[in-house]
Amino acid sequence: MYMDLGSKINALDNVLNAIVNLDLDSISILCRNAVELGIGIQDIVNTVARAMEVVGRKYEEGEYFLSELIVAGECVKECFKVLDPLFRESSVFIGRAVVGTVEGDLHDIGKNLFIMFLRSMGFEVIDLGVDVPPQKFVEAIKQYSPDIVGMSALLTTTIVNMKEVIKALEEVGLRDRVKIIVGGAAVTKEFAKEIGADAGGVDAYEGALICKKWIEERKLLEGF
Amino acid sequence: MDLNHRERFLRTFEFRSVDRVPNYEFGYWNETIDRWHREGLPIEVKTSNDIEQYLGLEGIESLEFLPIAIGIWPNPPSISLKKENDREMVADGLGGIFVKKVSTSTIPQYIRYPIRNRDDWKRLKPFFNPETPGRIPLNWNDIVEKYRDRNYPVGVFVGSLYGWLRNLMGVEKISIAFYRELDWIEEMMDTIVNLVTTILRIVLRDVKVDFAWFWEDMAYSKGPLLSPKLFEKHMVPRYKKITEILHEHGVNIVVVDCDGNIDALVPGWLDAGVNCMFPLEARYVDPYKLRERFGRRVLLMGGVDKRALISGPEAIDRELERLTPLLEEGGYIPTVDHRVPPDVSYQNYLYYIKKKKLWLEKHHP
Repeated sequence: MYMDLGSKINALDNVLNAIVNLDLDSISILCRNAVELGIGIQDIVNTVARAMEVVGRKYEEGEYFLSELIVAGECVKECFKVLDPLFRESSVFIGRAVVGTVEGDLHDIGKNLFIMFLRSMGFEVIDLGVDVPPQKFVEAIKQYSPDIVGMSALLTTTIVNMKEVIKALEEVGLRDRVKIIVGGAAVTKEFAKEIGADAGGVDAYEGALICKKWIEERKLLEGF
Repeated sequence: MDLNHRERFLRTFEFRSVDRVPNYEFGYWNETIDRWHREGLPIEVKTSNDIEQYLGLEGIESLEFLPIAIGIWPNPPSISLKKENDREMVADGLGGIFVKKVSTSTIPQYIRYPIRNRDDWKRLKPFFNPETPGRIPLNWNDIVEKYRDRNYPVGVFVGSLYGWLRNLMGVEKISIAFYRELDWIEEMMDTIVNLVTTILRIVLRDVKVDFAWFWEDMAYSKGPLLSPKLFEKHMVPRYKKITEILHEHGVNIVVVDCDGNIDALVPGWLDAGVNCMFPLEARYVDPYKLRERFGRRVLLMGGVDKRALISGPEAIDRELERLTPLLEEGGYIPTVDHRVPPDVSYQNYLYYIKKKKLWLEKHHP
C-alpha cells in the first residue's frame, strides 16, 4: 500500500496518505521512517498540516464525519509522539494558542477538535480544559503570552460567559495583545462580533484556518 | 369522530383521519421549571411529568412504557466523591468518574470513562445479561392483564446501539475503536442486540405493544458523530435483528430519539425498520424535506422550533402555521424540538400550549 520506504519524497507522501486514509496502524512506523531518513521536522510537520487540510476538506464536502476527524486527529497524535523528542531541540511552532471551554460548560468535543487542527497546523496549544473561569484565561495569557485565545461553549446559557472573558481581558489591558476566536453550536458570526471577538461562528477546521491566516498576516506585516 | 388516545396515536401514524393529533411535549430542563416557578407555575408542579398532567398534555414523559429493564442491570448506585463550589465529582458505580455542575443541567464530563479497554468491557458485560433476575417484574401477569384492554398507547424501550457505548467510552474512544478494534465494537453491539431481542421475545408474546423507542443521540449540528458508511455497515444489520421481532409482533412504529442533524442517518434507519424520527431539531432538520424525500415511509415527531417560544406570540403563531400542512398530512405528532430551555418564559409557554390546543383541534388528517 505504501511506496518505497527508502525514498525521502515517498516517505512524506506515505505519512500524508496514512493520515488521509486514517491508517492508525501504520502512521507511527511511517513517521519514524521519515525521521530516520533524515527528513527535517519542519517538513514532516508541514506534511501533517497538508494531510489535515485534505481531511478537513473531506469533512466539509461530506465524505468524512466527526468519527473520521477524530481518527485523523489520533493519527496526528501518533505522529507527534514520534516527533516529540525532536520538538524539544527545535522551535517549529508557527504560533501559540490558549484554548478552553468557558465557565459553566463541560463540553469538550468541539474544543478538542479545534486544538487538534491547530496542532496539526503547527501551533503550540495550551489546553485549559473545560469550565474555565475568566480569571484563569487572564492568568494563562499572562503566563504564556499566546497569539490567539480560543473559547468554546455548547449551551446558549453559557456562551454569554465568553463576553465575561473578553471583559476581564479588557480590564487588565490584555485584550489587544491577542486575537480571540469563539466557537460552539450556539455561537454565530453575529454573536462573535457582538461580544467583541475577532472571529467565530465557524467550525473547528475553519476556525483553525482563520488562526493560521492571522499568524501569516502578522508575519507579512512584520516583514515590512 | 370520537377516538381514544390509543386510536388517535395509531391512526395519526397510519395517515388516517383523526379527531385531533395527540398533544405531546418533549419535556423541560430543571432550570426552566425553576424559572417558571418564579413566573407562576405552582410550586408543587415539579417534574416534566407533573407539568404534562397540569397542562393537560398526553405525553411524552407520561406515555406508558413496559416496566422492564432493558439496559445496564442492576443499576449500580453512584457515589458522590467530592463537592467543591458548584462542582461535584461522582463515581458512577460502573468504574467511571465524572464531574457535573450542581446548579445546571449539563452533560456530565467524564474524567475516567467506565470502558477504556477490553478488560473494562469484560467487567461490565454481565450487566447486559438478559437472564439477570429483575429485568421483567415478578408481577408480570398483572401487568399483562392491565394492558389487555387499554385505551392508551404503550411502548417498549429497545435500547441503543451507539449511544450507550458512546456514553460508556466517550466519543473519541468509540470513534477510534471503530477503526482500530472493530471486532470489539461488534461484540459489544451484539451483546446489546442479544439483550434486547431476548427480552422482546418474552414480553411481546404477552403484550400487544404500539410503538418501540430507541435512544441514540448520535448527531450534532454538522451531522452524525459516526460516518453513515460505518453506521450502515455495522449498525443497520443489527437494528434489523431487533426490528424483525418488533414487526413480527405488529409493532410498526419504531421511534429513534436523536438530536442534531440526522439527515445522513435517516436512509439507514428506514432501511433498518426504524421509521419515526424524533425530535427533529428545527435548526438542523427540515421535516418537509424528509417527507418529500422518503414519503410516508418516514414518521415524524417533534419539529416545533424552540426559538419561536423564546421569541414570543408572533413567532409561535408563525411556527405553528409553518407546520400546519405537515400536521394535516398525517404521520406527524408535533412537539417542541427539544426539552424546553430556560430562555422560554412561562407566559410564552402558556401562550404556545393554548394556541397549540386550538391548532390541533382545527388542523388534523
